[in-house]
Amino acid sequence: MHEYSLVQAMFDQIGDAMRTHGAVSVRRVRVRIGTLAGVEPALFQTAYDVFRVRTACESAPLDLVAVAASDELVLDQLELEVP
Amino acid sequence: MCVACGCGDPNIVSVDVHERILAGNDRVARHNREHFHDHNVVAVNLMGSPGAGKTAILEATARALGRKSHLGVLAGDLATDNDANRVRAAGIIAESITTGSACHLDADMVHKGLHRLPWRTLDYLFIENVGNLVCPAIYDLGQDANVVALSVTEGEDKPLKYPTMFHKADLVLVTKTDLLRHLDVSLDRIVENLSIVMPRPAMLAISATTGAGIDQWVRWLEGIGRLRSAACAASGHAGAVL
Repeated sequence: MHEYSLVQAMFDQIGDAMRTHGAVSVRRVRVRIGTLAGVEPALFQTAYDVFRVRTACESAPLDLVAVAASDELVLDQLELEVP
Repeated sequence: MCVACGCGDPNIVSVDVHERILAGNDRVARHNREHFHDHNVVAVNLMGSPGAGKTAILEATARALGRKSHLGVLAGDLATDNDANRVRAAGIIAESITTGSACHLDADMVHKGLHRLPWRTLDYLFIENVGNLVCPAIYDLGQDANVVALSVTEGEDKPLKYPTMFHKADLVLVTKTDLLRHLDVSLDRIVENLSIVMPRPAMLAISATTGAGIDQWVRWLEGIGRLRSAACAASGHAGAVL
């Protein structure tokens, strides 16, 4: 169940990106998951749904893009709401 | 302006992050690796299922290598100091990393563990990971080599069922071979399955009980040690030797 610690690390990255851009909320999160990443997409989604409650990501859907024959796990793109 | 969905909302910006989610762990792992490199310590990340024989491997390694090399262990477990106590009894300095509910070690846990272990004078540091064939594989700890223990009692198909772990292994130690005569398990089939999932298949059949294969394991470790020394002599930036 390391997906929870991975999502926690991702929220730190999202927080950094929000501060950099002066964002007030997140509208969408896109993550690339390689099939050899050792990460189960469904569990990652579940962990994200647990973490995002009452955060800036509360209404941001998570798009998981599967990447064949790769071990990458990358926070690829964010859509941020700025004032 | 939002161009991603075409809504044109001026308050939505698309930000390309393109950063590994484990980038924070990777930074601490690089830091650990630099420490090991600076002090010419070979660091081995020893992984495997609970009960695969990781601690027994370390005890056998202490018997075979402990007199001529300085060995140390950071032993990760959810609870208890049992493993650290066992390897201490075998003559190796050791500290526990008690993870609570965490199913793996990460680079920061190892870094904090180093603060409690006099590791700078070691020749080899073994990081005995939490018993688990899934999660530990994806966390870089700063090690030079990933070694996975797979006991013959776990069956022939584990490499196929847990491919990520074996894909990341630089060496697989097939353990408890003294039990083969009691089991309906083929060592050849285990080797065959490892060869399917390992990019560069490397494996040794060992028994910590009889000592079979332990000499080859020690020679493998010493080979890593020579690569590490060469890497230090080249005084380049720290990188895993394998």
